[in-house]
Amino acid sequence: MAKNSTKPLSHPLLLLLILIAHTAMMVLVIFSFGINAEVVKMAVAVLLADVAGSVILQIVQREACTVDTVMLLVIGMSTIYQSCFGGLSFALKHYIFGLAAFLMCQISYAVTRNPYRAERWKPAWYVLFFALVAAILLLTGSRSMWIDLGFITIQPSEFVKPVFVLIAASSIRTQLNKKTFLGIHFVPDNLMLILCTVVIAGLQWWCRDLGSLPTFVAVAGFGFLLRFCYLREKFSVRLIVFLAGCAVVAGVLAWKLAPAYVQERLHSDIWSDMSGTGYQQVKALTAVAEGGWFGKGAGNGTLIRVAASRTDIVFSTICEEWGLFTGMMTVILVLFLPASILTVPPRSYYHSGLAVGVAAVFMVQMTLNIFGSCNVIPFTGVTIPFISQGGSSMLSSGILAGFLKAAQAPVLTDPVLKKKGGA
Amino acid sequence: MQQQNEPVLNTAAVPSMRRAGKWTALLLTAFFIGLIYLAYRLITQSSFYMAKSGAATYGKVVDRTGDVLFDGTQPLSNYGWGQFADVGNLIGDTSGQMSNTIVAKNIGLLANYSFTYGNNAGTTVLETTLLHSANRAVSNAFGMKNGTAIAYNWKTGEVPVCVSKPCVDIAQGYEGLAAMPEGSLLCKAFYPTVPGSTQKVSTLLAAYESAGVEKINALQYECTGSWTNPNGDDIHCHAEFGHGVQDLAAAFANSCNPYFAQLVQSGNVPLSDIIRTYQHMGYAVNGSEADSFDLNGITIQPGSTTLTNKDEFETEWGALGQGKTLVSPYQLMLFQGAVANGTGSAVKPYLLRSKTAPDGKVSSLASTQYTSQMFSPVAAQAVQDVMTKNAANNYSLVLGGYTCGVKSGTAQIKRTDKSYENSFLVGYCLDESCPVAFCVMIEEREQWDVTAAQIVRVLLDSLNGQIGG
Amino acid sequence: MDIQEIFRQYPYFREAATAFVVIFVNICALVILIAAGRERRRGDRRWAKESKGYMLVCQGQTYPLSAAEILIGRHPSADICFPETEISRFHALLTFSNGRWQIEDAGAHNGVIVNGRRISGPCTLHRNDAITIGKRRLVVVKGERM
Repeated sequence: MAKNSTKPLSHPLLLLLILIAHTAMMVLVIFSFGINAEVVKMAVAVLLADVAGSVILQIVQREACTVDTVMLLVIGMSTIYQSCFGGLSFALKHYIFGLAAFLMCQISYAVTRNPYRAERWKPAWYVLFFALVAAILLLTGSRSMWIDLGFITIQPSEFVKPVFVLIAASSIRTQLNKKTFLGIHFVPDNLMLILCTVVIAGLQWWCRDLGSLPTFVAVAGFGFLLRFCYLREKFSVRLIVFLAGCAVVAGVLAWKLAPAYVQERLHSDIWSDMSGTGYQQVKALTAVAEGGWFGKGAGNGTLIRVAASRTDIVFSTICEEWGLFTGMMTVILVLFLPASILTVPPRSYYHSGLAVGVAAVFMVQMTLNIFGSCNVIPFTGVTIPFISQGGSSMLSSGILAGFLKAAQAPVLTDPVLKKKGGA
Repeated sequence: MQQQNEPVLNTAAVPSMRRAGKWTALLLTAFFIGLIYLAYRLITQSSFYMAKSGAATYGKVVDRTGDVLFDGTQPLSNYGWGQFADVGNLIGDTSGQMSNTIVAKNIGLLANYSFTYGNNAGTTVLETTLLHSANRAVSNAFGMKNGTAIAYNWKTGEVPVCVSKPCVDIAQGYEGLAAMPEGSLLCKAFYPTVPGSTQKVSTLLAAYESAGVEKINALQYECTGSWTNPNGDDIHCHAEFGHGVQDLAAAFANSCNPYFAQLVQSGNVPLSDIIRTYQHMGYAVNGSEADSFDLNGITIQPGSTTLTNKDEFETEWGALGQGKTLVSPYQLMLFQGAVANGTGSAVKPYLLRSKTAPDGKVSSLASTQYTSQMFSPVAAQAVQDVMTKNAANNYSLVLGGYTCGVKSGTAQIKRTDKSYENSFLVGYCLDESCPVAFCVMIEEREQWDVTAAQIVRVLLDSLNGQIGG
Repeated sequence: MDIQEIFRQYPYFREAATAFVVIFVNICALVILIAAGRERRRGDRRWAKESKGYMLVCQGQTYPLSAAEILIGRHPSADICFPETEISRFHALLTFSNGRWQIEDAGAHNGVIVNGRRISGPCTLHRNDAITIGKRRLVVVKGERM
């Protein structure tokens, strides 16, 4: 066993499994539509991406195959889903963005694989963060989160997420670097995180896009949690009560002060307003109920006629056509990405911060999307990573996946120490 | 340094790196538990979703003997004429014409849909606590009169009779909706109305609770057919020449207005105490908040009254159950339930007994629950004494053979187009074979019409021995 | 098409096929898990090779150096935690970069002593170096891989 496992990981076996999984799904599509040009296009595209992705990884780099494998599997699956919703037409745009996300993953891996370097570049992340914030303020239309370039719309707030994760992560060395001003000891890094959190929260408030606010709050929260772990003796009962009290007060304040449109979302009963505010959720829930365990069959769904069926209520759209089993399966597959950190622990503080940040983004987004569309919590317009349609979200999810990969296959050369030549 | 064999390399992860894994695992676990809950919720509520969006087929509602009260699987005209004519406005249907009915409020339970088998699963059967034959008998007993009769088992909470006339026949459809008599589409037992002298039960309960049984029973007031309060307003008695000097038992039996008005005005029972007991009994007094009642999803508005100053006519009139006082027959029945069991806390009524899912799985919907303490057990038992004596002395001809307690009432309704009187009888039967609390109301009753007591007799006869246990 | 014909003929064929796909994707997930487990062993091995297989030994107990940053101190969240009061809460920081281990003072009151000399800046560690922290003597030992 030991000998066996020293061999490069069995990429070919994994590739074969992915190919069979995608082919099996495609066979289901063929049951619904027969063999036609669109099916062939889709099959060729998806299988080609699998093979190409695997081969390139095999040649270029053999580390952290979990993340890449799961990404290939999930992107192929979501391309098939998106191509079949309500009738077959190859989702070329989704497919291209999927490939781009895979590429972005490799790029962000290359950038962050060295935790020392990635942390030393923090000033650059701050600049990028404020540049994106400025872009949202200046370039987007009045109080919206979208930049319209005519041929394509970009959602800069999606790209703020990975940058924010880079800012929220911190190392023990940074935390030991205390400054004193007017007799107050403080860690500059922590002050910056607070500032960035306030800025992004204020911006979201101003833009009336509170859907992604929980994501940022969660990332900042876990960032501080890890800092507390570094710096506090223990989680004393008093501290926990204090923090919980703060959270409750903040929650109540946010609840009370939330703008009218948010209040409406928080208090609405979808069943009493089935054609108004509850329309999407009612349709989504009915679709899940109609789909049953095994769905109506690819392409036989009707939820596609409802707005945001490919993004905000995509879980229900999948459940309607493919069944609850497959829907849950897909969600759990996406969970494999942040879960990979459990099998291969990170080697540095900064990477562990990144990994937890990415897990927080993925979890919160999926929670808001899935539980929101199913009327367990208030409904907000957020996406499921890699599954929902949308270029910005896809690319930013790819970048986040790159962080996970970096945490599992780090390169540990400190650029500054190298120059000095060591002590 | 002493040379030694190389020790085995320790590859365990250090605590700080394990921490990241711990937080991630926590997040994952929370999400996973949520996902399992979501799946459970989606599966169990799927029939509700389908029913709400109108995409489901519906099953049957039956009474406690299996007699069909609503059938979503076939045209209702397949049934014999009048099958649905007695409890149509209680059971309702899927047409959407009636919103406060068993079917409308439990549409998710009635849907045939199952997550696994879809719409082809079979037929859902909702069994109610109603006894169709008794409802029919009571409905017929009203004759040409309109009104409502509701009764429930004060031991278990089952509601075997709930009739409201006029009643739509759901088998006939709604084409003649405009020509239907007013009130055909709702069950009057659930809507507050002027209770008349049945309100004296509530006032007496408050008096007993406030001043004690012995003191109240010893109070004597004179009735000369009319009594003038300190503000100079007259409270008239239905007996033109009055009842003379009476004690409480006599005044209760006579339903004497001047006696009760003086009881309220005298200060022997502080008005604040009456208000407090009323509020415990679920009245909204002087605009205060009161919870509405829920009967298997059916909403019943709480009673309300205005009691501001013991010397004012409006307050005294309100405590007598006239004027601004409004209570639903359902709530009056609930008080009787709490009097009958002598605890001051009633068993909550329910209408749905069980659901038989399309796959044949039977799940019970019945549960015996109690209301909050409405009044003290002492007051409940004292009122029970008074009411039982009243029944024995004045209703033995009609209700003979049953150990009952009753209170009659006459509500004076003044509308712009007409004024009339509604006749009430509230009470309970203590017999083991028929432990029910009831409220019967006959609208616009004239002298020679059927009496409420006669309808109660029909009700008791048709339920006797049928609802035990 | 013929395929659709089969599909129509056997009403539960699609359900069965969907179940098959779901089960297969499950198997896929399982294999990925196994692969991840193997990756972990590979990662450990790679780390052991890269980090020279060093670990710290103190009074017969071994402390793994399985991450690039190791905090030594009295603080409960420290990776190597000693309870003695003469050891500061954040005493020393071991870091691994560019293929070598270094130790530096993380704000210790009593300083960090390597091979009898109190260090002022980062100090590269070698095999059998002795680190003295308070009354503790930690020895850098090369562990043998299983």
